[in-house]
Amino acid sequence: MARTLLRIAMMSVFLFVVGGLGPADVLQAKSNNERPPQVLPSGFESTDSLLRDVERAEKAPLYSAWIVESSRFLNVPFGGFQPDKAGLNTTVDLPVNVGIIEEPDGKLTLYDSGWKQLAYIFDWNTSCCWADLRHQMQMIGLNPEDVTRIVIGHGHWDHAGQLDSFPNAVLYVQKEELKQIDFFLDYPIEFNGGHIRAVNTVDPISGGQVGPPAQACARSPVCGYPPQTVAEIEGKILAGKAKIIDGRFEVAPGLVIHPAFRGHTYGSQLLQVHTPRGELVFGSDTYSSWEGIRDWNVANIQQTDTIQQFLAYEKCYVLTSNSFSFNNCLAAHERLSYSTDYPITQNWWTITNGNCSRAAELILANGEKTHVPANVTTGSTTISLPGLPAKTGLWRIDSVVCKNTISTVPPHVIPPNG
Amino acid sequence: MSQGRRHRLPSRRMLFLGCVAIAVIGVCSFAVSRAVSRTATPAVTTANVKPAARPPRPALTPAEEAYMRAMWPIHGDVERSLMRASLGQILYKTDDLSRAELKARMEQALTTYRGAETRIRALEPPASVRNDHEQYLVAVRLFQESAVEAIKMFKDGRDDHLLAAYPKSQEGSDKIREVGGKFWPSEFPPN
Repeated sequence: MARTLLRIAMMSVFLFVVGGLGPADVLQAKSNNERPPQVLPSGFESTDSLLRDVERAEKAPLYSAWIVESSRFLNVPFGGFQPDKAGLNTTVDLPVNVGIIEEPDGKLTLYDSGWKQLAYIFDWNTSCCWADLRHQMQMIGLNPEDVTRIVIGHGHWDHAGQLDSFPNAVLYVQKEELKQIDFFLDYPIEFNGGHIRAVNTVDPISGGQVGPPAQACARSPVCGYPPQTVAEIEGKILAGKAKIIDGRFEVAPGLVIHPAFRGHTYGSQLLQVHTPRGELVFGSDTYSSWEGIRDWNVANIQQTDTIQQFLAYEKCYVLTSNSFSFNNCLAAHERLSYSTDYPITQNWWTITNGNCSRAAELILANGEKTHVPANVTTGSTTISLPGLPAKTGLWRIDSVVCKNTISTVPPHVIPPNG
Repeated sequence: MSQGRRHRLPSRRMLFLGCVAIAVIGVCSFAVSRAVSRTATPAVTTANVKPAARPPRPALTPAEEAYMRAMWPIHGDVERSLMRASLGQILYKTDDLSRAELKARMEQALTTYRGAETRIRALEPPASVRNDHEQYLVAVRLFQESAVEAIKMFKDGRDDHLLAAYPKSQEGSDKIREVGGKFWPSEFPPN
C-alpha cells in the first residue's frame, strides 16, 4: 500500500514537472470565443487561427530575408527603453532595422521604410549611421526598383519615412493607425495640462514636457507622427498606391499581416514571412526588443497597452512554434542586433559606403546566392565619406573604422563580433 | 523458491522507482536550467565605456530663444491644421469622412495658414535664423496654395484636385520638418 502510494506520488511529481515545461507563462486565447477584454475584434486572432496560418504557409513559396540598419539612436537610457532594465543604469545604442523580403520572382517587400534624414540629427549627435534606403539596397546587391510593397509596422517617423523613394510600391497600413492620429489631433487639453496632445508637447527650448511630471512627448497619442510622415502616407493613398486594411490581411501566400493593435501604437501590425527556417515574424516597434520578447519584458512603451504588447509577443511564439520560437521574431530596435547574441542577425556586415550602417542576411531561399561579401571575416573594404579621406578597414570592424570616420558621428562602441 | 521470488520482486519495483526518480530529477534539472537560461540577463556585449557627453546644442542667444518661443505656437497651429487636412483627405478617400466634413477641414486649414503667415511676418528674426524664417514662410505659402487647389474640388466636383494639390503640401511638410528640426530638435524624440 505504502509503495503504491509512493508510486502515485512520484508519477504525480513527474507529470507536474513535465506539464510545467509547457508555455504556462503565455496567455492563451485558443478559440474565437476567448477574445481577451479590450481587444478590438479586428485586432484579435485566436491561437487556433494563427496556427492555421502556419499550416497554410507550409504550402506557400519560400522567401529570402535581410535587415538593414536605417540609422542608429545613440546613448539611449536603457531604462527609458525597457523599464525592467532601469536598474542597470546604463545607456544603449539602438539600431532602426528595416526588413527586406524577396519573393521567388525577385520582387521585394519592405517591412518599414526607415527614416528620412534631417541634417540636425547629425549636427547634434543624437544618432549616427543614417543611409538612404535605396542606396543601402544597392550596396547589398538588391534592386530598389524591385520593391513592390511596403508594409509599415506603424506610422512613426523613424519607421515610415522614405515612402516616396519607392513611388511604385504599394503601402499597407492599418486604418486603426490613421484613425487614432486623427482622433487625438484636437483632443482638449483643459484637464491634462497638455499631456494628451497632438503637437507642441515639449518646451520649445528645453525640450522638456509641457507641465509636470517630466515626460517625453513620446507617450502622448500623436507624438511620433510629423506632418511630413503623414503627408507621405497621404501621397500613397492619393496616388492609388495604398491598401488601408483592418486587421489580418494576406498580402500573398506565406506573407501575412497580423494586427498588433496598441502593441506599440493603435494600429501596429506584424508581418509573417514563410522561409526555410520556418515562419519569421517582423514586428517593428511592437517587437522593439528581441530580449523583451524572449524574457517577457515590455519595451519602447509609446502609445502602448502593455498587455496588448504581450499578446503580440505571444503571436510570435505561436507563429514560430514549430521552428525556432522567439529566435524568429524580428525586432526593430534590438541593441544586440548584428551580433551573435541575437542569433538570427549574426550573419552581418558593414554596408560599403553606407555611412557605417549595417546589414544582416537572415535566410536565403530559392537558390538565392548570399549577399554577404566573400571577405566578410578576413577581407577589407574602403569606406569613403563626404569630405573625408577614404579609410580602409575590415568589414565588421566599425568599432575601429566608423567611430572616427566622420566628425559628426560621435565615438561609439559596437559589439566586437568581427 | 517462493521466498527468493519475494526478495526479487521488491528489487524490480525498487529498480523501477529508481528509474522514475532519476527521470524526475533529470527533467527537473532540465526545467530549472531552461528557466534560468530564459530569464537570465544576457551577456552585455556592448562595452560600457561610452563616449563623452555629446556636444551640446549651441547656446541660443536671447533673441534666438525669444524668436523660437514665439514661433512655437504658430508651428503647432500649422502642424495641427496640416495633419487634419492630410488625414481628412485620407479618411475621405476611405469613406470615413464626408465631403462636407472635408470641405470644413480644408477651409479651416486655409484660414490657419493665412493667419500663420501674418503672425510669422510680424516676428523679427535674428540674422542667424533669417534664412530658416524665410523657408518657413515659403512652406506656409505652399500650404495655402495647396489648400486653395484642394478646395476647388468642392466647386467643380473633381476629386483630382486633391492629387494636384498634394505636391505643394508635401514640399511644405518637408520644409517645416527641416526647419522645425533645427529650432526644436526634441519635438520628435526617438520612438
